[in-house]
Order: sequence, then structure tokens, then C-alpha cells
Amino acid sequence: MSCPKTQYLLQEYFSEDLSAVARDELDRHLSDCAHCNAELESVLFVQRDIQQWQEQSVPHWDRGRELFRREHRAERPLSQLWLSWQWFPTAASLAMLCVLLFNVSVVSNESGFSVSFGGSSGANIDLRAQLAQFEQAQRGEMRQLVARVESRQDSNNVQLLQAVMEQAQQSTADSFDQMYAYFEQQRLLDLQDMRAGYEQLVDSDYETIRSLQQLVNYVGYQGDIR
Amino acid sequence: MSLVDEDEALIAAALKGSAYAWEKLVKRYESKIYNHGLRLTGNSSDAMDLMQEVFLGVYRNLHRFRGDAKFSSWIFRIAHNKAVDMNRRKRLMTSSPKFSSEDEGGEFEKFPGQANLEPEYRLGSQELNTRILAMLNALSMDQRSIVELKVFQSLTFDEIAELQDISANTVKTRFYSALKKLKVVSEKENVLS
Ligand SMILES: [Zn+2]
Repeated sequence: MSCPKTQYLLQEYFSEDLSAVARDELDRHLSDCAHCNAELESVLFVQRDIQQWQEQSVPHWDRGRELFRREHRAERPLSQLWLSWQWFPTAASLAMLCVLLFNVSVVSNESGFSVSFGGSSGANIDLRAQLAQFEQAQRGEMRQLVARVESRQDSNNVQLLQAVMEQAQQSTADSFDQMYAYFEQQRLLDLQDMRAGYEQLVDSDYETIRSLQQLVNYVGYQGDIR
Repeated sequence: MSLVDEDEALIAAALKGSAYAWEKLVKRYESKIYNHGLRLTGNSSDAMDLMQEVFLGVYRNLHRFRGDAKFSSWIFRIAHNKAVDMNRRKRLMTSSPKFSSEDEGGEFEKFPGQANLEPEYRLGSQELNTRILAMLNALSMDQRSIVELKVFQSLTFDEIAELQDISANTVKTRFYSALKKLKVVSEKENVLS
């Protein structure tokens, strides 16, 4: 019933580099030997069986988009910017806001610095003076950022500026009308500065122009709703 | 432009920083790699993990791709290495004793937990795939991998031998014994159903 050649011959059957002579020999044996022939049929059947596999669609995934963009410094969502060093200036302004909001006083004397909350320390905090200081710091930051946009023409920075402005708006919303007004005024001043800057950038590459265009639109939009 | 040339053009563009080209390249191969992973691991979460690792590996090594091999062979080489790693890692993580379901032991064992097919494969339109996965499950990881490469990826015995670092004769032997085993399993199933 069984055949001593089955194992070897069927192993060879699936080989791609079988010589013509060997292939002839194999075919001849298969036509003569019912056992080998039946064995071959059954393994071919099972091979065809598994080949009926239906391609399944890939569940949704990011395709490495984030990784790719991060490493190639292309556009990325604003939330990602929180992780980047470029947020240092904004972090500094936020810290400044906290100082104002919580009425923290920093007193410098011979023994060093002392920090207190709620204005209970002897030093009388002049909010106006702090605001003026803040204004200057903020202006300085904005100028630096604009300078960076101009020098590096980097779309990231344009986005950053957008984000900084958004952030500034959010921070000042509701409670502190005064500061809000200040920010608003500041923002408009800075935007004027930036608009002047854009004009110099117009002949740069397409990507930059597009990003700037978006920012200009954004600025226009923000201006309209106020 | 042939598919191979297109791959190379996409790789060149991706290396220059085109996210669009990278995504296009991924889209071309993700389904193949995902289905490859499904057949190797038997479940979609492992297949997803494997696929993501493969593309991360591709991404990290894209600059090393020289074009002397086809991109498709290269990516399946990465997929093979990742599958071996993943299988080894899973074996370490599950403390269950290592077992070999076949006479020939090797670096591959079964993926632990692969017998638990997910519900989606038990029902409805995926019935055929479920049956195929159940059959493949009966194989050792060595055999499963060879069946995958030979039947689904159409690699030659020599190519598989090179990929797995074993002799072509061993590949032939394992492939044939895998087919015999699949035959036994499918007959058993037919008797049961
Ligand atoms: Zn025979």
C-alpha cells in the first residue's frame, strides 16, 4: 500500500529548482504509483484550502505619521507643541500670570528672596507696575518670536505664534478684564509688527507662504469676532 | 513605472522628508503585513503589534535600504525578525513551560495564547479565515512560518532557508510535514462538523 519514495518525492515536488529530468522522473512515478498520487492530491487540496484566505482590512492606525512628522519637523498639532522647548517663552508668561493672579509677592532683600501669597507681605504690590513689566516682557517675547520667524522662516514658529496668541487669549479670558484688554491691545500691536514682517517673507518658499497665509487668515478671523 | 520602481521612488521621497510618500508606502504594504501577522499569530491584536513594529523597523532602517533587493523582500525580512523577537518576548513574559508540538524544535514555538481566537473570527463572514487559522494553529511556529512564506508570500525554499538560517532541505522537510499535519487537522475537522 505505502511507497518508500513518498516522503522524498513529495518534498521535492514543491521545490522550485527541480531539474527537468528530475521533474520527468517524478511525474512518471506519480502516474504509476497510486499511493504517492493520492498523497500529493491530498496535500495539494489542503494547500488550496488555506489559500482561500480572505484579506482582512487593517484596523485604523496612525501609520507612523506622528513619528515621521516629529522627526522631519513638519507640521504637527498644537498639542504637541507643549512638549517642545519652544514653549519656554509662553511658560514664562504663564508663570508671570500666576504671579499676578495669586498676588504673589517676591521680596528681594539682603538675605535673599522671599515669596508670599495673597499680598500679606509688607511690600505693596502695584499691579499696574507689574502689568507694565509684564507688558514689556511680553512685547520682548513677541519680538523675539517674530524675529525667529523671519530668520528661520519655519512654519513651526508661525504655528507657535498662533498658539502663543491663543494661549494668551485663554489665560486672560473672563476674570481679568484689565489684563484682557492689555493682551488684546498687545496682541494687535504685535500682529501689526508681524504683518510688516510677513511682507518681507512673501518671496520665500511656498510652504512658508501658505503657513503665513493661514496665520493671516487666522488673525483676520480673530480680529472680526472681537 | 513598475511597482518596484514606484517603491523606490516613494522611499527616496520619504527619505527626503515627504510624509505623504511615507504614508503611501505604508498603505501599499500594511494589509500584506497585517494579514501576514494574523496568519502567524492567530489574533488581531498581536497582528497589529507586529505590523506596527515592522513599520517602525522599516522607518528606522529606511536609509539602509539599498535597492539591491526588492523592498517587498526586505520588509518581509524585517517582519520575520520581528515575529521571532515577539514570539521570544511573549514566551518570556508568559511563565508557562515551553513546549514543542513537533519533533523538530527550533527557535520558534507557538505564540502563547494563540489558541484563543478572538470572537470576530468565530462569527459570520470570517468563517473561512477562522477555519484556516484553526488549522494553522495546529502547526509549530517553525512550520507555520514556512507555510506562510511559501504559500502566502511565494518565497522559494532557498529564500526561506536564507531567511531562517537553516538548510533548504530542512525547509523542504518542514514544509511537507506541515502540509501533512494540516491535512490531518482538516480531516479531523471535517469529521467533527
Ligand atoms: Zn510512490
